[in-house]
Amino acid sequence: MRSFIHSFQSEWLKKKRSLASWIVVIGGFFTPLIIIIARLVHHDQLPQLYSNPGFWVQLWNNSWESMAIFLLPVGVIMATSLVTQLEYKNNTWKQLHTVPLRLSTIFFSKLSVILVMMIQFFILFNIGIYLSALVPYLLVGGVSYPQAPIPLKAFARENGLFFIDCLPVLAIQYLLGLRYKNFLIPIGAGFLCWILAVAVISWKYGYWLPYTYTMFNFLKGQTHGRAIVPPLNIHLLAISYFVLVTGISYILYITKKEKG
Amino acid sequence: MITYALETSCLTHRFSKNEIVLDTINLQVPHASIFGFLGPNGAGKTTTLRLLLGLLKKQAGSITIFGKEFAQHRVSVLQHTGSLIESPSLYGHLTAVENLSLLQKVYQCKTERIAEVLKLVGLPDTGNKKASQFSLGMKQRLSIAVALLHDPPLLILDEPTNGLDPNGIIEMRELLQKLNRENGTTIIISSHLLAEIERLVSHIGIINKGKLMFQGTLAELKQKQDQGVSIIFETNETEKTIRILTDKGLLPLINNGQVLLPAVSKETIAELNRLLVDNGVDIYGIHKSSNDLETIFMDLIKN
Repeated sequence: MRSFIHSFQSEWLKKKRSLASWIVVIGGFFTPLIIIIARLVHHDQLPQLYSNPGFWVQLWNNSWESMAIFLLPVGVIMATSLVTQLEYKNNTWKQLHTVPLRLSTIFFSKLSVILVMMIQFFILFNIGIYLSALVPYLLVGGVSYPQAPIPLKAFARENGLFFIDCLPVLAIQYLLGLRYKNFLIPIGAGFLCWILAVAVISWKYGYWLPYTYTMFNFLKGQTHGRAIVPPLNIHLLAISYFVLVTGISYILYITKKEKG
Repeated sequence: MITYALETSCLTHRFSKNEIVLDTINLQVPHASIFGFLGPNGAGKTTTLRLLLGLLKKQAGSITIFGKEFAQHRVSVLQHTGSLIESPSLYGHLTAVENLSLLQKVYQCKTERIAEVLKLVGLPDTGNKKASQFSLGMKQRLSIAVALLHDPPLLILDEPTNGLDPNGIIEMRELLQKLNRENGTTIIISSHLLAEIERLVSHIGIINKGKLMFQGTLAELKQKQDQGVSIIFETNETEKTIRILTDKGLLPLINNGQVLLPAVSKETIAELNRLLVDNGVDIYGIHKSSNDLETIFMDLIKN
């Protein structure tokens, strides 16, 4: 366990100043910033909007719309691929594989860094959502703070579900990122799958493509013909995909003949 | 008792069915030695070093480091090994200190060690400069600092002087000699700079086309070569020289217009000189074939 912690600390330091770490920060605040700007532009509508009892749920849905459909899957594709590509880009696999760590420790500490980056993103995004409510209230006169309580429990649950729905995408991108030296392969494959996901979301078997899960989670209960309602629990399916792909990825990693 | 710091037995590696890269390599690197590993391009040096570090999956044979079979004790062996394989392995977006910090966390050595090794390799003041902005020589120095960070008793260095200027090469040689002398560090070093290797190493291994042609001390190699050293006669009449020497019961050969004779005593050389002059042969020069590492290496490779 100690070697895992040391390895995790080492991996965490590697992403310092990297594009992957910037994606987490920029991705977390991008949508909230757009919402703040939009609300400041349409400031005359704010008093009515802030007095609405469903203010927080509406803000939540506005924030998650672009995030669930586009930014989150694409962000996971980019960040995961970039973290694994750090080793290829810097020609450091050979250095990493000559440190006194088990291959399993290296594999899981790298994966854990990506998972913690995801958590970091969710925290930043939630802070961003709250700021997108707070900033217009502070800057625009005559706007009262929303009276409705923040449905924290429901939001925490939704965060958890979105996180679970990202896991298979993360696992697939991790596998591709570890496997291929050419950065375009994991990124290209990820983008293709995302485009495919948008295309198959209204197809009856579309739910078998793991890249659709954040979209399904957002669109649930408000399909209006835009998407099918998956007959299976997509969150369980997401966990199953994650475990399966991570297992395959691990076997491919430890049995690789050439390690840098 | 463990005789060798590193030993391989029948190490064989193929990239494909018909392509044997290493053929039953039995390497023996004594404790506290500086072992020069030489061979022409494509001879199998880097493949051997990569196998020693577990970067390539071993197909046949065994590797023992400090008395432990590598495959079974990979982690504990690597704890005592520092390495630099081919080009520098550095995170370009991080500074020199950050590059070492992330390894310091894994090796759990003292934080002060980072400043120590940077000073040792001559990079004490790189500040916030990122590794990607370093010159090749600086990158190479930092890579050596990485290899030295945890003060390993075994160093495996593949072409560590690549990119270093002449002064840097001398500094590196002195550093490696100091580590070997003061800490008893065993160093395996491959390089194409034969003169540099000759000044640095105590032992040598020569590999060609996947086969180990020689291993032993530098003195043993020179002694072996002395036995095959030639006396070269440069004269105006090669054919006549050959005839005279043959009549004398010797076995001369012609090579590039020169007459080569197996090693003979100083007295015999003087006697042959007199004999040739008395027979009207003009002698332009008599000398021994060169006995430096470059000549020995080339002879071994040709043979």
